Amino acid sequence: MQHMEFKVKWGMVIDLDKCTGCGACSIACRAENNIPPMQDASNKLRTTDWMNIYELSNGKKFPDLEIAYLPRPCMQCGNPSCSTVCPVVATTKDEEGGIVSQVYPRCIGCRYCMAACPYHARYFNWFDPIWPEGMEKTLTPYVSARPRGVVEKCTFCHHRFNAAKEQARANGADPLDLPEDAYIPACAEACPTGAIVFGNLKNPEHRVAKLAASKYAFRLLARLGTDPQVYYYSKRDWVRQLGDNYLQKELKGGEHV
Amino acid sequence: MGLDRRSFLSLVAGGVVGSLATPVVWKTLDDVSIWSQNWPWIPRLKYGEETLLPSLCKLGTDAYGVQVKLVAGHPVAAYGNPEHPLSRGGICPLGAASVQLLYSPSRVRSPKKRVGDSFEDISWEEAEALLTEQLKAAGKDVALVSGDDTGSAAEVLAGLVAALGSEQTYFMPSEGAAAAAALGLLGGDGLVGYDLEGADYVLLLGADALGAWGTTLRNAKAFADGRERAVRVVYVGPAMTATAAVADAWIPCTPGTEGVVAMGLANMILERRALSNVAGLEQFRKQAAGFSPDVVATRSGVAPETLLGLAKELLVAGKPLVVPGTTAAQGLAVSDAAAALAVNVLLDRINMPGGVMVLPWGPKVVAAAPDKKAMMGRDVVGYLAAVAAGNAPAPKVLLVHAANPAYALPDLKTIQTALDKAGFVVSFSSFMDETAAQADLILPDSLTYERYDDAYTPYGSGQANYTMAAPILKQPLFATKAAADVALGVAAKAGVDLGFASFEEVLKAKAEALGLDFEAAATGTVWLGTEFAVQQLDLAKVQAPALQESATDVTLVPVANLKIGSPKVATPPFGTNVISPRELQGKDMVVAMNAATASKLGVRAGDAVTLSGAGGECRARVRIFEGVVDGAVMAPLGLGHTAWDAFSRGKGANVFQILGTQTDVAGFTRFATAPVGVRKA
Repeated sequence: MQHMEFKVKWGMVIDLDKCTGCGACSIACRAENNIPPMQDASNKLRTTDWMNIYELSNGKKFPDLEIAYLPRPCMQCGNPSCSTVCPVVATTKDEEGGIVSQVYPRCIGCRYCMAACPYHARYFNWFDPIWPEGMEKTLTPYVSARPRGVVEKCTFCHHRFNAAKEQARANGADPLDLPEDAYIPACAEACPTGAIVFGNLKNPEHRVAKLAASKYAFRLLARLGTDPQVYYYSKRDWVRQLGDNYLQKELKGGEHV
Repeated sequence: MGLDRRSFLSLVAGGVVGSLATPVVWKTLDDVSIWSQNWPWIPRLKYGEETLLPSLCKLGTDAYGVQVKLVAGHPVAAYGNPEHPLSRGGICPLGAASVQLLYSPSRVRSPKKRVGDSFEDISWEEAEALLTEQLKAAGKDVALVSGDDTGSAAEVLAGLVAALGSEQTYFMPSEGAAAAAALGLLGGDGLVGYDLEGADYVLLLGADALGAWGTTLRNAKAFADGRERAVRVVYVGPAMTATAAVADAWIPCTPGTEGVVAMGLANMILERRALSNVAGLEQFRKQAAGFSPDVVATRSGVAPETLLGLAKELLVAGKPLVVPGTTAAQGLAVSDAAAALAVNVLLDRINMPGGVMVLPWGPKVVAAAPDKKAMMGRDVVGYLAAVAAGNAPAPKVLLVHAANPAYALPDLKTIQTALDKAGFVVSFSSFMDETAAQADLILPDSLTYERYDDAYTPYGSGQANYTMAAPILKQPLFATKAAADVALGVAAKAGVDLGFASFEEVLKAKAEALGLDFEAAATGTVWLGTEFAVQQLDLAKVQAPALQESATDVTLVPVANLKIGSPKVATPPFGTNVISPRELQGKDMVVAMNAATASKLGVRAGDAVTLSGAGGECRARVRIFEGVVDGAVMAPLGLGHTAWDAFSRGKGANVFQILGTQTDVAGFTRFATAPVGVRKA
């Protein structure tokens, strides 16, 4: 598929040396994006968490064990695997900013995109969205409730992007040259340790651009060529080495694509 | 004229081409796709003017400022408050789920009176009359247990109980109380705080500062800023907690031996640094000498060279800080807190930038109320145990406020006996928690967003602070009332004058006492104290932690986790998804132990086991996790609710059920860890 280039590329750098796995990002995301609560969320094959948190380990025995938590939003790939397989053009990457869209009314629930996404970032609504009585009054006005049979995913809180652009236009500023922090998703805003940094990867002034250029930054499964816009950051070699499938003999310096 | 085949086909083909050229088909398809997703049971969004109002989150052990987003007057989401010193824009998992908690299925929506095995809804008039009558009949046999050790609501309730002639006013256990008691032991007076922002080396002796300990959000911000300044953070504790996962180093120690490590460090520091001007130094030196590196290694598992490394790091650091604590964020031994405090004294870190800060107790405005210091100095676990054993008279009326003692206290069986002995149990809980479910009367408190609330210097704060929150909603959503207003009303009816007609007036007086403008405070201005009381600490009074080996093979390490809940609230509806299979699998709590411990116990990954402790037994599943010291079993706190709602009820087991207690110095009870038996279920 043709690779579209954008003037603005929204991206994230998540510092895995700061993430404590507290879960605030995931809950803030749920509230912001109107993901219904689940009474029983123990079967993780049936849950919906746009921001999912994994635990990584260096696999060593006590006392040499180290762990890291890895929050996983949608990678907003430069070459998305999902949009290429969608038969009804319900998910595209064609808007300035480089956010992979998800048009719920178009989605027919075939789930090809879920099979294609190497990051398991997409979720299928197995159930109708039900809020306990009265709790539907706390729905935010930003994201419509999705019915059963529709696939959904993280959108980098796209409505906040729209709001920031509106604000810029109202101020007579350039909506495509937003200042840092004019637009940040709910997860990055909530993070207590500031592990999630958000901004325009193409703007060298933004912190994300600087962090993404660091030798400690890496992307998940980067060798697949998906060109994710979410970067991770860790000074620990073993964490970076878990970011992709490496041959044993490669595992020396922690150098990464 | 006839229609031949050729013209028929042309007509059909022309029709098809023609219809494709019109937008009708596409529009219809689009409509079908939209309307087939547009069922009446799918909730619609409501739009309107958006506003942000400041408020407080007090759902965890912390209390910090949040901002609530309202759309057309309805609260929809809570965000961190960048202006608040204890939040700085961050939010905890409970805060992030707090707006939805307003509509929690377990909210008590009107006052309830017990009738046999069930409840009957009653009016507020009837409820208040009933409480007044019970209080009048009880005389001075009244007791209070409150879980709100930062707010003025507890002061009002304690004022009522004290005015009736009772001294039985208690807070739920907190590390703040244990730390203040440790300071008192050494001859100091005040709340204990830590200037984490100013320190350049932080040694956490058990305190899971980024998990659920102290001012969790502020700790997180200080930690993140510290990373930029290359502040070294070292965690000493029995398990790989949230803090240990991101600290610069994790030094495993046997559960409950953090105080021993502190004494070992004190011993090494005394050997290496000539000190004068420290009161009681010689007596303390004798005590510390008992904690030689070898003794410490045997007891705590921290090797002599590791201990020496820590001592050297402390000695060379410009602004080192030693912070005591536990993974449970409660049940800390006063002796352990005192040992850590002593190390800070040796390093000259009391009331110094980046050190231990001694903060004033804060003003009291309800004259009848006991001093907060006195109330924090009383041990609720010990009191209820004495009631259960018949060593203390059972209260005729027990008021329970912002607390859930029937779930969140150790040695739960004993606590239950005490609650059963209490004559008339009144719960002010906003939710149908375990205590409310067995109360005789429930007077549902409004939640913070529906009423006035305040917080004075939550434990751990580096400087004194006071935050007030005005109601965000004009009316409570249900027939609930602020507990402090109920107490003031009932006091008036019982003929007790507390000096105030409403809780709002109490807060006005509090603001005035602090020199703070009430209107400014109610709209989010935070008061910050800059006074630190000069302390004359005497190290001779340190009572060093016991050195004898514990008789048990396996020790339970409960870990508090805000995403699962807190002693005050069960998992909120929006919290279920972030509970991982590492904590809960199906209906089973998951406990972690390393492979060596598992093989010693003869259990494997995934095995169902029965854990048995002093308080009883519970069921769990085994997870092999190398982030736990030998001989320890790590278990999540906050599961196993029996009341509440389907989002938390019947999930996992309540670790408090099996957690035993130990008597501690200064009349406190230690329960941060306890012996446990593990066998296959």
